[in-house]
Amino acid sequence: MTDQTDIARARGLKSLLPAAFNLRDAGTLLGLILIFVVFGVLSPVFLTAPNLLNILQQSSINACIALGMTFVIISGGIDLSVGPTAALSAVAGASLMVAGVPLPLALLAALGAGMLCGFFNGALIAYAGLQPFIVTLGGLSLYRALSLIFTGGNPIFGIPPEFRSFINGDLAGIPVPVVIVAVVAAILWIVLNRSPLGEYILAVGGNPEAARIAGVPVARTKITVYMLSGGLAALASMILMGRLGAADPTMGNLWELDAIAAAAIGGASLMGGKGSVIGTLLGAVILGSLRNGLTLMNVQAFYQLLATGIIIIVAMLIDRATRGKG
Amino acid sequence: MAEATARLRLEGIQKSFPGIKALDDVSFSVMPGEVHGLLGENGAGKSTMLNILSAVFAANAGRILIDGTPVNLTDPKSARAAGIAMIHQELQLIPALTVAQNIFLGRPLSKAGGLLVDRRAQEARARAILADLDPAIEPSRPVSELKVAQQQIVEIARALLDDARIIAMDEPTSSLTPPEFDNLAALIEKLAGQGKSIIYVSHKMNEVFRVCDRATVLRDGRFVTTVTIAETSEAEIIARMVGRDVQTEGHVSHATDEVALSVSDLGDGRLISGAGFTLHKGEVLGVAGLVGSGRTEMLRLVAGIDRASTGTIVKDGRTCHFRSPRDAIHAGIGLVPEERKKDGIVRDRSVASNIALPCMETFSSFGLIRRKALRKEATALMEQMHLRPPDVDRAIGLFSGGNQQKAIIGRWLAADVDILLFDEPTRGIDIGAKSEIYELIETLAAAGKAIVVVSSEMTEILRVSDRVVVMREGRIAATLSGDEITEGRIAAHAIPQSKARAPQEPPQPQEAHHD
Repeated sequence: MTDQTDIARARGLKSLLPAAFNLRDAGTLLGLILIFVVFGVLSPVFLTAPNLLNILQQSSINACIALGMTFVIISGGIDLSVGPTAALSAVAGASLMVAGVPLPLALLAALGAGMLCGFFNGALIAYAGLQPFIVTLGGLSLYRALSLIFTGGNPIFGIPPEFRSFINGDLAGIPVPVVIVAVVAAILWIVLNRSPLGEYILAVGGNPEAARIAGVPVARTKITVYMLSGGLAALASMILMGRLGAADPTMGNLWELDAIAAAAIGGASLMGGKGSVIGTLLGAVILGSLRNGLTLMNVQAFYQLLATGIIIIVAMLIDRATRGKG
Repeated sequence: MAEATARLRLEGIQKSFPGIKALDDVSFSVMPGEVHGLLGENGAGKSTMLNILSAVFAANAGRILIDGTPVNLTDPKSARAAGIAMIHQELQLIPALTVAQNIFLGRPLSKAGGLLVDRRAQEARARAILADLDPAIEPSRPVSELKVAQQQIVEIARALLDDARIIAMDEPTSSLTPPEFDNLAALIEKLAGQGKSIIYVSHKMNEVFRVCDRATVLRDGRFVTTVTIAETSEAEIIARMVGRDVQTEGHVSHATDEVALSVSDLGDGRLISGAGFTLHKGEVLGVAGLVGSGRTEMLRLVAGIDRASTGTIVKDGRTCHFRSPRDAIHAGIGLVPEERKKDGIVRDRSVASNIALPCMETFSSFGLIRRKALRKEATALMEQMHLRPPDVDRAIGLFSGGNQQKAIIGRWLAADVDILLFDEPTRGIDIGAKSEIYELIETLAAAGKAIVVVSSEMTEILRVSDRVVVMREGRIAATLSGDEITEGRIAAHAIPQSKARAPQEPPQPQEAHHD
């Protein structure tokens, strides 16, 4: 029987708990506001509408990758292969476009290529039981090599202008990439918080063995998150390709690190079982604002890197301190 | 006896966590050479007390005196220096390191001016200490090769190396077999004979009565009483722990003749072979046997968690081949695992989410979970089971063991399985919540569910079972029913008859006739 101590303990925590998830996101938001205030004071241009839209646009590619990364991290894994996956998808999509394949088909093929990379990662992790870090490290070299070999190392030019103008256009004044990522994020929020798949991902990341015994399709869930990550990497590559007008086989170098950073700042735990779509979006915008603000202030790239590193570590320290030891 | 001579005296210990008082003005003392039981239900404050004693955290008020002198314990290191050692329930050894390396972990003997670890000296020292405890433990072997009981002895050896005068043991027998407990009891007696003070935390009354001289009972963070074991009874202590009488009413059978599950010739190619039993609707089948006799392993095969290499499982007339727990669940079989934390709960998720895991799809339409319906169903289930606190949105990890168990059972009711497999259903659960679980099992049987209960506690087997199968060395040694279900008969079948014959490879066919 639960004795009074337990009940008392329960009451003490109960008032805190329903708020806990939002509390973490609120903390990330507070961090973002702080950065806005600081740069707003330091630079008159920073808080203007065009610049804010600019920040969102610059953050959109990382946000897209980081959303996939968040799902992988929640499931207890990691995906280091997102950059090369993006490059391979871009190369595949661009080749088809240049060869005259209709645009929607080429785009679908690019997304398919990304998801195939993810499937390969996921199958090795779920069925062969290999560690996600190592599998996707292998994928990182593998997919990069494939895109370099296929293109001979040269970028593919000749992206159809209608695709370029679509990506570079805007919807009701908001850049298309931002709209795309916002829609994706909204869908993913619903998946994580309202769908069985979301519950499965959280359960598999929180306690894989208990999830299996409770009848969760663990292998299927894992493969799904890696395919999602691969698909989102492909989507990000399409955005970048549209902006640059070329598919570069070296595209996406170190994207995985920015994505992990955004997810972690947003509250994803590398131990699995925890993470937030909103948090990750805020995390990506925090990193984007930082770069934008420092550039406006003419701070050298080397120092920007320094600031990024400091922000990540400070964010984690604050996270640790506010979450307690649990 | 003058209190001044106490080896350890705790005075007015008080500890609060945000919102609650975990310990409120608790005082007791332990004499040199005394084995002192620390008893109470989960949440009574035993763990908090041990944590204060080993200085994991500090008390808000109160004093700790050793040999009459107040000590200031600031961190675990200072507690160790003061002669207090803790043997944790979950052993804190590093499996890949050797026995000697574990014993000297954090305080190595060195040579070459402190640059190198002196392995030989460590092993010699370890051997000297172990000679007194269990000479069969070889200091140069990795700890992973030892049995749990031996690992525990390595922990005790570590405590002795630190020259501990006060050794606190937290549920030391949770994974020991009866003979291993006998060894531990003898060892405790020996240590007490050498003047060590032992604090023994346990749920099991028979152990407390076997090893303890006195015992202190805590309830709701308050001191209830300190009793001399020779002058009290189990019933009295339990009544003091619970604060009321615990009924142990008779067993009612709801078994029918309708076969729910029949298992034959089940084997896993390792431990289990030729295991078979029949389970009827409304029946509670107890599975008794020693630790290591294959009870859990058999249950896991039936639940599809591990793959069977031989045998057939026939449920409702259909032969099943389970390739995953999911298959078994779809066939209507659910397992309530022994290790709740590891195999049962997803700690950070709500009770409702944990309940819905096996049947998320049934709570969804158009790919989205119907949260309201799920919440309603979970709340209704948990109301029946008296979940406390009655909040299904709260993370399951914040509930006590008994309440977590209710949620896991509720999971299978929500999934509407008709066969429930329980592995040690009341392990780590308070005495009060225990009888609730028993009542629940009976209610489920009355509702026509077929139930298997694996248990190491004889009283539990006797309390819940309509029939009992006894396992021995991976096989079914006997099936008992009615008046045959007695402690003596179960034990007789559970214990391997002849040590010489037991370890042999599968018995040869012609030899089988000589039995």
